Amino acid sequence: MNLPSASPLLQLDRVSRRLAGREIVREVSFSLNRGDVLGLLGVNGAGKSTTLAMIAGVLAPISGVVRVEGCDLHETPELARTRIGYLPENVPLWPELTVCEYLDACGRLRGMARAARKAAIERELLRLDLASMAHRLSGQLSLGQKRRVGLAQALLHDPDLLVLDEPGNGLDPVQTAQLRELIRGLSDQRATIISTHVLGEVEAMCDRVVILHEGQVRHDAPIATDRGALDRLFLAIAREYMVESAAI
Amino acid sequence: MSALAVARLDLKRLLVRPFAWTFAAIALAVLAWTFLLDLNTFLVAQPKLVANVSGPGFTDLVAVPQLLAYVQLCVLLAPLVTMHALAGERRAHTLPLLLAAGLPPTRLVLGKFFSALLFLWVLLMVIALMPLALAHTTTPDWGQFAAALFGCALCVAALTAIGIACSAFASHPALAAAGALLIALILASLDIGARASGVGIGWLAYLSLPTHLTPLLHGIVASVDVVYFLLLIVVALALAVRRVAAEKVRG
Repeated sequence: MNLPSASPLLQLDRVSRRLAGREIVREVSFSLNRGDVLGLLGVNGAGKSTTLAMIAGVLAPISGVVRVEGCDLHETPELARTRIGYLPENVPLWPELTVCEYLDACGRLRGMARAARKAAIERELLRLDLASMAHRLSGQLSLGQKRRVGLAQALLHDPDLLVLDEPGNGLDPVQTAQLRELIRGLSDQRATIISTHVLGEVEAMCDRVVILHEGQVRHDAPIATDRGALDRLFLAIAREYMVESAAI
Repeated sequence: MSALAVARLDLKRLLVRPFAWTFAAIALAVLAWTFLLDLNTFLVAQPKLVANVSGPGFTDLVAVPQLLAYVQLCVLLAPLVTMHALAGERRAHTLPLLLAAGLPPTRLVLGKFFSALLFLWVLLMVIALMPLALAHTTTPDWGQFAAALFGCALCVAALTAIGIACSAFASHPALAAAGALLIALILASLDIGARASGVGIGWLAYLSLPTHLTPLLHGIVASVDVVYFLLLIVVALALAVRRVAAEKVRG
């Protein structure tokens, strides 16, 4: 059991973001503690990826603050380096490097020492069942394998907060089941935030859900409270989205 | 440390791609050929040159033209080597990985700059070795050769910095290469008309690359020329840093 600290591990305080003149994220607030698995649910274009990019330190909010254990992430980018592991929607791979070389480079970028890097690479290769493809070029892997390599990169420095953007995209049912099991297994020691537009994924992996729609938080509650209500709410939002899309 | 990690990563990526080796091989083959042609011309002209004690020698006729030919080739080579530096990362969706690693834009840009520069400087050294291989049979002007090598190294660094800046601003590597090539050509031929007509236009001549490279090739190291190249490098890299920093804000 994790003891609650004075400040939550992650706190978004009225965070907003504009992209190409459009407000993508509007005053989003929520917090996350160690051991939590939060599902960020929303239809396409709801602002999930932008929110996660701000949490990972890739984008800066135009207003509001992202705090990691009380510290402003954008004033102390070192936090992103040491405390946050991020897997973007498009797996960031350098196809000309082997899996081992890629993970080694990621460890170097995060400032890990040589011995720690070596141990971490071995650990993640075993954990993600990548040992057999350690010396294969990352550009030659299947989508599922690429996602696992991306996940290994995000876990390499043993982050306190794991940020996964649509990790289940393009995976077959077996890989999806493995991923769900893996994420549940990882959540004991750290906080995890997963974005998806698949309600089933959230129900299978998360213990709390935040529904985003048009950049705003429409729902924030534990999963276990009322699954039927969650289904109905998300379907209503999805219908609203379809009506808006048809009107456009 | 993180700039070193970026430089190391980029150099590794550059060296595992056939692209870099192909360009290196083509550059070396072309310059080896021009070296042999220059050497032959020098050998044919040597009986006449011996008579003139203060006339041009091996350094003026073979070694320095060899270095200059490499710099001219770098007008094309530097944009090709640097075009992927940031535009390629952006296109391959790997820039978020670098930004999420908490790398300050300065270190990211410096790492990219030094990896490309190291590659081009190693080629410069290999090319400098060609005339140096004949040093024991000739009497090179070591001072002039060192000044010319220094000038060429500075000029290559400036072309690399321009390439990195273009890569930071462009959305596609090909656009970055075209932009860097255009800027390098403009800087190389800015005062060509004025020179041809024998008219000196102060500021235009100051901005022109040959104005500052030529004295160094003749063995004259003046601080004004060194400062020009350093300014060019600093301005180009500062622009690249600003653009990468804006990436977080603009998206």
